[in-house]
Amino acid sequence: MTLDGAKVYTERAIGIGALVLAVLAPVLVSGFWLNSILTQALILGIGAASLIFLSAYGGMISLAQTGIMGIAGYALANMVTQRVPGGETKGLLLGWNPTVALVAAILLTVAIGLLFGAVASRSFGIYFLMLTLTYTVIAFLFVGSVTLIGGFSPVAGVDIYTPGFIGDIATDRNRLYYITLITSVFVYVLVRYLVRTPFGISLQGIRDEPVRMASLGYNVAVHRTLAFGIGAFIAALSGVLYAWWFGQLSPTTMGLDATIQLLVIAVIGGLRRIEGAWLGAIAFLFITNEITNRIPSSGLPVIGGTFNTVVGFIFLAIVIVSPDGLMGLWDKAWSAARRRGGPPQVEVESSDAAAVTS
Amino acid sequence: MKVGTWRLLLPLAVLAVGATIGTSGALATTGQAGEVRVAIMTDCKGAFAFGFEVDTAGVIAAFSQYAGAKPTNKKKPSAGMIGGRAGGKRINLVGIGCGDETPALALKETRRLMVQLNADVMLGPLSGDEAVAIANWAKQNPKKTVIIGTAGSQDPTMQIAPKNLFRYHGDGAQWNAGLGEIVYKRLGWRTAAIIGDDYSFPWTSAAGIIADFCGIGGRITKRVWTPPTGGDYAPFVRQLPRPNQVDGYFWLVGGANTSAALTAFEQAYGPLDAKQHSGNLFLYFLGANTTVAPRLVGAYMGGFGTFQTGGLKTRQATAYVRAASRWFPGYNVNDGFFYNYWNATWALVQGLNNSKGAVGPGLQRALPRTLKPGFQVANNGVLRLDSRRQAIQDQYPLQITRAAGEGTVSTSIVGYVPNVDQTFGGYFGPSKPAPGRNYPPCVKRKLPWQGKIKVVKNGVITNQVIK
Repeated sequence: MTLDGAKVYTERAIGIGALVLAVLAPVLVSGFWLNSILTQALILGIGAASLIFLSAYGGMISLAQTGIMGIAGYALANMVTQRVPGGETKGLLLGWNPTVALVAAILLTVAIGLLFGAVASRSFGIYFLMLTLTYTVIAFLFVGSVTLIGGFSPVAGVDIYTPGFIGDIATDRNRLYYITLITSVFVYVLVRYLVRTPFGISLQGIRDEPVRMASLGYNVAVHRTLAFGIGAFIAALSGVLYAWWFGQLSPTTMGLDATIQLLVIAVIGGLRRIEGAWLGAIAFLFITNEITNRIPSSGLPVIGGTFNTVVGFIFLAIVIVSPDGLMGLWDKAWSAARRRGGPPQVEVESSDAAAVTS
Repeated sequence: MKVGTWRLLLPLAVLAVGATIGTSGALATTGQAGEVRVAIMTDCKGAFAFGFEVDTAGVIAAFSQYAGAKPTNKKKPSAGMIGGRAGGKRINLVGIGCGDETPALALKETRRLMVQLNADVMLGPLSGDEAVAIANWAKQNPKKTVIIGTAGSQDPTMQIAPKNLFRYHGDGAQWNAGLGEIVYKRLGWRTAAIIGDDYSFPWTSAAGIIADFCGIGGRITKRVWTPPTGGDYAPFVRQLPRPNQVDGYFWLVGGANTSAALTAFEQAYGPLDAKQHSGNLFLYFLGANTTVAPRLVGAYMGGFGTFQTGGLKTRQATAYVRAASRWFPGYNVNDGFFYNYWNATWALVQGLNNSKGAVGPGLQRALPRTLKPGFQVANNGVLRLDSRRQAIQDQYPLQITRAAGEGTVSTSIVGYVPNVDQTFGGYFGPSKPAPGRNYPPCVKRKLPWQGKIKVVKNGVITNQVIK
């Protein structure tokens, strides 16, 4: 077996092992870790996956994903919550059927995502980045300023109103965990499938050579718009799950800090591989939680109120050591092994070899 | 060792160490028999960051006073405490939440404290929207008990009102009771504009002023709400009527942003005229005492159920100040942040003693429905909770006064408004909307204390009424 083949098998084994551990997690870890770390990591992982999908296969680093997640969450929250005695106090409180609201929220978000994507589809590089950041800022200020749909106070009770097939996730948090796990697997498979389709391959061509692809007759703007729409769909799933998990939504869940947080997750995990999304999310939440619990409040007076700085330094170290994040580190380890074992064993067809030398 | 090798090994080592630490964290934190796990929820970031130590000081001082604890460090409350027992159980202070006034972070911190660190009781939060989020959380977690620290939004104990949530101080509206009548009568205001941050505490704060000022016949001509994200207030003060178009302004910008907002006003319309400005407690508190308050000597402002610089000459007030001052000599025990967290903690100790250390519903049943806090005068100094576990509390409108030392200011109590209830005599209610940008409307209405606010002179409540 070649070293590359061994790497693939190792990754598959690790993937299956991780999935088995994930399925067994409710019996392995405490309720807090399951609910607040793992469930949240899976949800943010899905959000980061939408970012990595656009970045790794479309060459578009989007800062709009948090805003899109927020749009989905806010849409759902406003549609499902109700005005009842002792109930919620903010938002439209439309009281729609939760299933209808779920579908409507996702469709609305994808429609907005397509619109965003159409506007940004002809922008590249820093201009694309800034444009997508603007989307998130618009979304943040919109929900904050229009008090009818929430304002800066929280819209609460979203987790109480779930479709029948989702069940009671407010009290049964294991159920919510498994729903996020299934959704994560779905998103992973979806992305892996999409990038192998003709659409996915042409998208990767556009990522590498947009001008050449346009001259070959591909509609670059449409491909990029559709990719953004798919990214919006994935982000919408994350946004809905986040609303269910958090139970309450306020603009800060889609503000600048949250945007940077999602970007940091993607960068830590690695912007080149979709698996990095979940790896980055777990690493991010793990580090922030551990550091937070070590402020003086918990009786361990070692860091003080400066834990944000400590967290920042840890992330900085990861990125400096491995610009491609943790997945990059993994790839690097295999590259190092390959170097020690001699040149890579790549089997090429004679015609390809001729093409390379010509 | 090759450079490439350490670049691989270093992060792997960091991750391995982290994983080891995390493994211990992944295990459930369980309480021990014979202990009550208590958490403090306050802010250490944002406009209320100063509250971290002050609030903690209030809690630890009260545990020291009533439960036999001792501060670990008299200069640094967040260093924790030693000992402490109530209801036969050891009090274990498991953590302090670090919020930034946003509901999202408050909720995350609440979950960390109440679920990961498995606290039975939380003392806090500090800020209005945080309390809304935590009240909604409490509703779904009936076995946990929340005693609000010093948050002033109305919703937590009015519209949401979960049975496991208690507040032993007034909300933002209650704190402003009497202020509208005072500026109406003493300064002759008939029209006023409101400017405040766009979230639940300033809305509640404004609701109290509107009820009071409009109730006696005043008119609010404009309400301007600013995003609570700080920044530049110039565009918002420009939306206010000009100084010659209105009798006065009520400032309800929260926390440390008051100074920035008033400075923007000065830049737009010139020097401040103290007779044309009023506002809630933040006209003086949170640093405003050294920035804008010196230019507002004579201005009337809402209170806090307490006062910054003391001065109420009652036996109960004096006893409180003497007792509370013992534990953290550098801290001002008249400060409402200290005072409110102190009272919340004192109530908890009483509740635990009543429940014999039981937590959950047992503690919730046993928490006192009356308290004798330092600055309560009415009912022989007894503060009562209403049916939604919200305090009915005396209020003291304040005036900014000059203090000894050049450029330094203080506050003095000008009025006494006894037994202010959260509904303002039916003006607000559980079935009515929570205060918002345009709610409540400005209507003339008789409030229970209208025409009965007593004059306070040199800390002594007189029989004269405000005219």
